[in-house]
Amino acid sequence: MNDVETVKAFIVDNFLFGESKELEEDTSFLETGIVDSTGILELVAFIEETFGIRMADDELIPENLDSISNVVNYLQRKARTGS
Amino acid sequence: MEANRIKFSKDILKVDPEPEAERICQFIREMTFGRFKRKGAAIGLSGGIDSAVVGELCVRALGKERVVGLLLPEKESNPLSLEYGLKQAEKMGIQTIQEDITEYLMPLRVYEKRDRIIRQLFPEFDDSHRFHVTLPQNLLEQDRLNYHSITIEDRAGKRQVRRLSGKEWLEISACQNVKQRLRMIRLYYHAEKNNYLVAGTTNKTEAEQGFFVKFGDGGVDIEPIAHLYKTQVYRLADGLGVIREIIDRPPSPDTYSLPVSDKEFYFCIDYGLLDLLLYAYENNVPRNDISKALNLDEQQIDRVFRDFKAKEQATWHLRAIAPSL
Repeated sequence: MNDVETVKAFIVDNFLFGESKELEEDTSFLETGIVDSTGILELVAFIEETFGIRMADDELIPENLDSISNVVNYLQRKARTGS
Repeated sequence: MEANRIKFSKDILKVDPEPEAERICQFIREMTFGRFKRKGAAIGLSGGIDSAVVGELCVRALGKERVVGLLLPEKESNPLSLEYGLKQAEKMGIQTIQEDITEYLMPLRVYEKRDRIIRQLFPEFDDSHRFHVTLPQNLLEQDRLNYHSITIEDRAGKRQVRRLSGKEWLEISACQNVKQRLRMIRLYYHAEKNNYLVAGTTNKTEAEQGFFVKFGDGGVDIEPIAHLYKTQVYRLADGLGVIREIIDRPPSPDTYSLPVSDKEFYFCIDYGLLDLLLYAYENNVPRNDISKALNLDEQQIDRVFRDFKAKEQATWHLRAIAPSL
């Protein structure tokens, strides 16, 4: 699986309970209510465990976490900077 | 949409305290004697502004001999809460019942289970430490998401902070909420044996944003101030004669051993601004009008509104009757 598929599978399994119809790559998790604030922290734990990185507090922003695209873009930026 | 016809300003939430107090008193009388057919009201006196105002209103509505105030501290409560609660009750001249609920919480192992989670983060955490949980406070300044951080403090005042995972927060929160739920149980015990109802103390700001515990402080018979924003509750407090110590005290959930304000724990902005923005959010006030009245830019307003929406969505079930077919 590529990163998009990996993140999508996590969201579908954990927050949509297998129902993936409403989820596009740029669907806002928070606007649509797919993921709430506790869910965001589950997503952070998933990213840290799956991709072996540590997300700093100041990285917990919508730009990095509020859609599949945002997460994947964040992961790519993180891989480039290596931090 | 209707509110768009009213000019939005910083004065939009001004209430005339005396007629508003009388309106609420009539509601309390009608509910207690008419609908519920009860002899009086029981109130949990937390030492905070909301319960003091509800206490005063119940005394005015029903008479002091028909109101009982419950003081229900536990070992982590701020001692000032009990002191101010007692002083307020004495001023109102009502009967009080004081019970330390620590003895009920201990067999449920609430402290033990919660501390086990905390020790996974801070192995040195023990009874000599205090702790609280907070959200990031920079809501107006930048786009950010809510996450909970735990702060522990040792006897020397040295603090350490860690971000909580979702699982850790849920476990700590579940333990903490038992405190309010036990208070509800004790309130109903004393209310029922006297054929009283339980008067709630949740205000509109808390109700709309989900800042109460389901079947805890939200488990009551009537909600006399749930139509008033927090700042409006303060406006009533002065006229009703709430003691100065309570009026001047920063609002706090008072369920953590290390003091924390409502702002730090949940709302992330001061009540004065919070209530005006919540009114604007609920009444679809145009962004331009809000911006002019409150001197905020549209980006700041959008950030706060996103936070309102997130909290509203996450807590809808607290305000709803349990769904059924």
